[in-house]
Amino acid sequence: MRIETSTAVFLDDTGAVSIAQLTEQSGLSEAELQVLVESGALEPRDAAAGSVRFSSRCVATARTARRLRDDFALDDAHAVALLLRFVQRIEELERELRALR
Amino acid sequence: MKYKDYYATLGVERTANADQIKAAYRKLARKYHPDVSKEAGAEEKFKEVSEAYETLRDPEKRAAYDQLGRHAPGDEFRPPPGWEQSFGDTQFSFDDLDLADLFAGLAGGGRGGRRAPNAPFPGQDFEGAVNVSFDQAYKGTEVELDMSVAERDENGRLRRVPRKIRVRIPKGVTDGQKLRVPGKGGKGVNGGRDGDLYLDIAVQAHPLYRADGLDLYMELPLAPWEAVLGATVEVPTPAGRVTLRVPAGTRAGQKLRLAGRGLSRPDGSTGHLYAVAQITVPTVVDDRQRALFEQLKDASSFNPRAHMVE
Repeated sequence: MRIETSTAVFLDDTGAVSIAQLTEQSGLSEAELQVLVESGALEPRDAAAGSVRFSSRCVATARTARRLRDDFALDDAHAVALLLRFVQRIEELERELRALR
Repeated sequence: MKYKDYYATLGVERTANADQIKAAYRKLARKYHPDVSKEAGAEEKFKEVSEAYETLRDPEKRAAYDQLGRHAPGDEFRPPPGWEQSFGDTQFSFDDLDLADLFAGLAGGGRGGRRAPNAPFPGQDFEGAVNVSFDQAYKGTEVELDMSVAERDENGRLRRVPRKIRVRIPKGVTDGQKLRVPGKGGKGVNGGRDGDLYLDIAVQAHPLYRADGLDLYMELPLAPWEAVLGATVEVPTPAGRVTLRVPAGTRAGQKLRLAGRGLSRPDGSTGHLYAVAQITVPTVVDDRQRALFEQLKDASSFNPRAHMVE
């Protein structure tokens, strides 16, 4: 059987998504995404433009936030934002540690 | 199908209310979540408690679960006749599914609220991990993923089927990179969009190169005289060997840039390769070399610890 090959796309700063796409791909509501933006965990790419767009990297970040929300049964978007910042900080430190080894 | 006792998994009574179920789950999640737990088997345990909570937190799914009756954990059982019609419009092929598939297939309330029977429903997103070598990351590669997924057949019956997905990993991926393969998740229902496949990339360490974004770093051992006098040396790069001019007076730790020799991506972005100078000394010297070093010592007024003098 012939298997079709699909191309993976980077979730990084080269691509961009709208807020509707970010909602759809992350599983978070717009209100939850807004809290992540206010906390600084997500940064809109061109907030000054008419429609808010985010870097594709934000899809990975928002999905991590959704996973944390679900995994720890968190009801409060602010708690999710706080936990996300801690997880991001840990990942950053782990990367630095690996680089030093 | 094997029975699982979700109440026992969460350590609550069958009469527990929603708050008690959530409290029990949170306690177990804190104990076993892979992000916070170092206990052996924690990940497996977390999957079990999370599966139990997914069903018991939803009143409709919990009612459906309770209707399955009580069995000993691990016992083979089949839902009572008409069970699926009582809880939604989904048909199941019970032989191919496990309990988690059964409840994932029920509409349920969930966070989004109960959906109408014929409303479009997006397919499930799949997640996978892919390990690639440094060379594969540099050049790009294709990988084949074997997955077992719950999918609807032509009659709309939910069953578990093996699925092979071939994915082209673009060049320039780095360790920890997240990739998305659009439309390669579960099939959407009633015209809902297909889910996506999300991949976590792990790149095996290379003995020479270390990546930081698209930039690469490698150590460049130099003899003391090469560092002092300057030299032209041949060095490896992922694309083949090149000659590198080492300027006179190169210090240990100094980075020499090989422009555009790092990782590159399909969009044309390219990193650099940095050769980090290391001064390496011979551990064995013959009489002549020793004499020459002695002469150098006498002739030089260089004090490498001048900055430490108070």
